[in-house]
Amino acid sequence: MRSRKSAWVWLLRKEWRELLAARAWWVMVAVMGPLVGFAFVSAVRTYAEASGLNGTAMGVGEAFSPLVGIWGPTFSACELAAAFLLPFVAIRVVAGDRQSGALKLELQQAMPAMGRVGAKALVLVGGWMIALAAPAIAVVLWRWYGGSVDAPELASVVAGHVLNAALTIALAAAAASLTDHPSTAAIVTLTATVGAWVLNFIAAVHGGVWERLARYTPTAMVAEFQHGLIRLEVVLAAIALMIAGLAIAAVWIRLGVAVKRRALESAGVVAAGAIAVAACMLVTTSWDVSEARGNSFSRSDEAALAKIPGTLTIEVHLAPEDPRRIDLDHRALSKLRRVRPDVDIRYISATSIGLFEQTNEGYGEIKYALGARTVVSRSTTAEAVLEAIYEVAGVAPPGDDESVFRGHPLVARPAWAGPIFYVIWPLMVIAVAVKVKGQR
Amino acid sequence: MIERLVEGNTGWVRVAGLTKHYGAFAALQDVSFTVRRGEILGLIGPNGAGKTTLFECMAGVLPPTAGSIRVDGRILSAAERRNLLFYMPDAVAPWPSQSVGWVLDFAIGFFGGRAEQLDPIVDALALHALLREPVATLSKGQRKRVMLAFGLLMSQPLLLADEPFEGLDLRQSRDVASTLRQHASDGRTLFLSIHQISDAARICDRFVLLSDGRTCGEGTLDDLVALAQHRSASIAGRNLEEVFLALT
Repeated sequence: MRSRKSAWVWLLRKEWRELLAARAWWVMVAVMGPLVGFAFVSAVRTYAEASGLNGTAMGVGEAFSPLVGIWGPTFSACELAAAFLLPFVAIRVVAGDRQSGALKLELQQAMPAMGRVGAKALVLVGGWMIALAAPAIAVVLWRWYGGSVDAPELASVVAGHVLNAALTIALAAAAASLTDHPSTAAIVTLTATVGAWVLNFIAAVHGGVWERLARYTPTAMVAEFQHGLIRLEVVLAAIALMIAGLAIAAVWIRLGVAVKRRALESAGVVAAGAIAVAACMLVTTSWDVSEARGNSFSRSDEAALAKIPGTLTIEVHLAPEDPRRIDLDHRALSKLRRVRPDVDIRYISATSIGLFEQTNEGYGEIKYALGARTVVSRSTTAEAVLEAIYEVAGVAPPGDDESVFRGHPLVARPAWAGPIFYVIWPLMVIAVAVKVKGQR
Repeated sequence: MIERLVEGNTGWVRVAGLTKHYGAFAALQDVSFTVRRGEILGLIGPNGAGKTTLFECMAGVLPPTAGSIRVDGRILSAAERRNLLFYMPDAVAPWPSQSVGWVLDFAIGFFGGRAEQLDPIVDALALHALLREPVATLSKGQRKRVMLAFGLLMSQPLLLADEPFEGLDLRQSRDVASTLRQHASDGRTLFLSIHQISDAARICDRFVLLSDGRTCGEGTLDDLVALAQHRSASIAGRNLEEVFLALT
């Protein structure tokens, strides 16, 4: 018998060849070009218009951050592909063995099921990385136009989409193993995707625990990475979910094990995954890798906030769907949580939209309490929140110690992007596919 | 290890009380028989008798409801069973996009097949012309020969082949039978599920008769004739078809 390592290498080679034989993968790679191209061309035009109209970036630096203006929209094409194209590729690779009868043969080789599923997942992630060549071309073009590229924030965007793809692969692998037919697996996978969107919607309406859970949906995760925010709890939770998905796939490809036992093992995996995700929620480490530091207060404010003793309590009398609350969360509280994870934020509202609470006394108030001192404010800007916190803490605001991010305005035409993404890329993918097919 | 187990037990592999239920339906009911080392054992039964289910339960790709596989009276673990036997399913087209040559290399690389047997098996089954062809483009008979080659490359001492003659023409059937005989004479034990009784009569040393998920008889043709006569069935001569009809 061959060693397990060499058998696994053979399996990896087999999975790679199967991926290259999958038309679904070639179609996905080919479609990535036009998808990315359309998003990139639109983003460059909008960015140029904004840059030209304003003339200067003074005071509107964030608007001229390539992270928000170019990479966010351009890479959003990858999110689309990960939601609607990648699952079919993953299902093809995982379910193909069962459909063709190959699984009955492969299961007779003594290899842990997780090793088999791991080989498929690894190859699929590799296939996804190749598809990411399309946005990589966009980066090259952007540089050629004279645009600024900040490596850490670009890496953050790429990492978010790789993690999202890995989650999709794990979900699709689990669905393909659990179901008897690829079409059923596709329905299950898309149901999970739509379910995540529904969760986001419920979170927006009801807030609370739903809001907390919605932070771990692929959409929310990608959005944070696209803003240059890397939260360790989200990364760890995504990895835990990914491992759980692959483990469920590994449980169900073992056709020789009784269904009852597989169901029990799956329940164990789900329970372990839930515990792992719950444990991840305790982690508060995060990094703001955006050049504009868009997810952070200024360094001097962060230092001052860190020194405030005691637990700060903030009572927000705003409904979940009230735009002021969304503004407050995005502009101030999310930044505050990063520097003071111990802050106790309570949301109080009688309804989800707040429309009929406007006349209530106290609606719209934000109460800051620290020890015996309290401060009440209605402003939702970051500056006002900081001012209220310093006031309730009885400390003087620090002076400005860093220059304002002025952005990288650029008036450029998306030259060559159209021909490259709409014509050359698809033709090149088709040519390579034909050549690879011919060589086999 | 398996060589030792089999050698030390004069080639006896015992399948005992194998049962498989799908809800209320019993596909196999208390199926028991023995496999002797170096023999070609034929599994004969009508459509729906449970032949494929029996093979899949033995190979561990389908969970049996009850029963065991024993060597030396000892129940085999899953790992030991994997080292003892290899099962070639019927009507499969595994890795359809890959060439026949690559599939046979995969059999050696991934499954630990016998590399030194590759050329002789390819010659014996006339696969040279097919080596560059993708599995998906093969005819039923060609695919069957490729799958047989795959199974014969395996190093396990016991090969279970489901319908090895299905889709083959007369000449190919004879060639395949000759190749299987050759491998049996080299010490390989073959357990073949055969739908066509004439094919089974031509190649098998002993038979297991299966009907409605139960074993109806086991032994050589003479044993089965005696069994049929014992059950008061009148049989015209030593004809496996007659015996089969009498016992099932």
